[in-house]
Amino acid sequence: MAEDTFLGDDFLRQLMNVGEVDLLVGIPSYNNAETIGATVQAIEDSLRQAFIRDRVVILNVDGGSTDNTCEALLGMNGKRGTGARGLTSLRTVHRVSSQYANAPSQGSALHSVLAAADLLRARYCAIVSPAMANPSAEWMANLLRPVHQEKCDFVAPLYRRSKYQGLLARNLLYPMSRAVFGKKIRELYADEWAFSGALAAQCLGRNVWQEEAVRARPEAWMGVTAICGDFKCGQSFLGPKAPIAAGAGPDIVEAIRQTVGGLFWCLEEQQDYWMGKTGSESVATFGPEHELTADEGQSLNADKILEMFQRGVNELEPILSPILTAETHAEIKALAQQQEGFRFGVELWVKTLYEFAASYHHSVINRDHLVQALVPIYRGRLYSFLLEHADSSPEEMEADTEALCGEFERQKPYLVERWKAKAEVKT
Amino acid sequence: MKDVIVQGLSQAYENLVRMLAEFLPRLVVMLVIILIGLLVAWLLKIIVRGILRLTKLDRLSEEAGASRMLRLAALPKMSELLSRSIFWITWFGFILIGVGVLEVAGLQEQISRLLQLLPEVFVAIVILFLGLIAANFLSRAALLASVNAGHPSPKLLSWLIRFVIWIMAISMALEELGVGRQTVIAAFSIMFGALMLGLAIAFGLGGQDLARRFLERRAGDEEKEKHEEPSPL
Repeated sequence: MAEDTFLGDDFLRQLMNVGEVDLLVGIPSYNNAETIGATVQAIEDSLRQAFIRDRVVILNVDGGSTDNTCEALLGMNGKRGTGARGLTSLRTVHRVSSQYANAPSQGSALHSVLAAADLLRARYCAIVSPAMANPSAEWMANLLRPVHQEKCDFVAPLYRRSKYQGLLARNLLYPMSRAVFGKKIRELYADEWAFSGALAAQCLGRNVWQEEAVRARPEAWMGVTAICGDFKCGQSFLGPKAPIAAGAGPDIVEAIRQTVGGLFWCLEEQQDYWMGKTGSESVATFGPEHELTADEGQSLNADKILEMFQRGVNELEPILSPILTAETHAEIKALAQQQEGFRFGVELWVKTLYEFAASYHHSVINRDHLVQALVPIYRGRLYSFLLEHADSSPEEMEADTEALCGEFERQKPYLVERWKAKAEVKT
Repeated sequence: MKDVIVQGLSQAYENLVRMLAEFLPRLVVMLVIILIGLLVAWLLKIIVRGILRLTKLDRLSEEAGASRMLRLAALPKMSELLSRSIFWITWFGFILIGVGVLEVAGLQEQISRLLQLLPEVFVAIVILFLGLIAANFLSRAALLASVNAGHPSPKLLSWLIRFVIWIMAISMALEELGVGRQTVIAAFSIMFGALMLGLAIAFGLGGQDLARRFLERRAGDEEKEKHEEPSPL
């Protein structure tokens, strides 16, 4: 197996020194020297307390850090603390670190982790972000237990978020992926997730690692692969999601290119699976009782968002014209003419997204350009959402999300119809 | 007198018969060459169209926005257009060869020149189409990027990019054809220089405040604006 792998010699040597393992925790890093220590400490504490009989390796795959992230990880002093029941690990927790490229890529990082998991015959794996704000041993255990004890093949996290956090996921990614693929997995786009060795092996064998959608957001592709491959899926509550530090996360354009572009690509890849599916079903949910929306969250100034929506719809008219039907385009232009206080209804929003997805499938314009053309329209929906939920309680927001999911499912035949229709020629 | 006239007419008739006897076989040869040319051009058209469809040129052209421009100009799809161009250029070449067989005085040299020009005409057409595709693709990318970033005058920026690429493509095509070589280079240099100078003056004198605000925003405020929007993920 080692002869066939793309992993470097030094990395292979380190892995061979480890031998076979039961559990592998991958940490893709890039200039995380400040936070990686606390993350690894939380992981090791969790492993020593909750998985004491397992052979474990913590695998850091680095994208060319210049702040000595790898050295910070390897130079940590391991402490053998005891758990709540006074138990401690019966085995050594190995640490391995390797640089997979000179520039960070989530897809390449996951590819290296999967290859290592295959080589070490790991039965359970998890990917953990080194930039977690408050990593804890309990949190890590909650992520791994469903794979380890409940035989789940793919476990997505569940977070409690503030009102205005993760709005792209709430308004688009979750409801659309749920309606299309038929599984109620809330956080397909996350920095932490767990999976079985069987799913890892299947994903490793796919020839998709050069695809932009997989390189940018491999976790969503892996989740969709698990759903469409009839692997057992679940989700586990991990606690509050810390806000992304200023300047650390992608801006709205980049986020939409990565996530929505990736979702549309997955639709294309798995069209045989989802075409005939209707409705959606729940997946096993683990972890303590929880609420998903917290009441806190600072209010936002929506004026700038409104202005960018109006300008975007006007300026991009020739680009939106071949993507949308004349009726939908006219409705959006009418909204953009209104001064303020308008409502971007869920029916129009869902119809718009399905037309974008179908146009992506038919390649009516360059696909990356098509996804970027969605940005101003998303801003319109965002503006409407912020107005509607300025005073909403968490329960009301959850009810609204559920209603949006229902609308996506109700209109799914429209997506199928547009998807199957030949590309319209407009002049 | 009568004999002279008869002899003259007889001589003229003989000349006509001789000329026809010389010309008619050439005419037949010309017609055969033109017919063979028609067949060869038609075969080439079929082959080129098949190859272009295999390479999915139409999808590329659709994605780049060139197909839309072609539709607006009531032209067929890119693969059809290129294969038809091949057909006409090939057949036109055979027609010129056929006409050359007639050995009409003074025409030979012109035909020879035209034949030499045919490959250059084809290359010029290809340059123009590639320019059209590049101009549409890059101007659309610029429009999207500047609209989504909230920059002022995104259409102007997009139009400028399209204009510069078109000018470059047209001047390259004319250069390939050897039409007014010096004039084209000079015209392009003047236009491009004027454009840059205009922008420099606009930013430097007419729009000092605008330029300052623009640079300030680029330097610092852009980061702030980025975080005015709620976290998407």
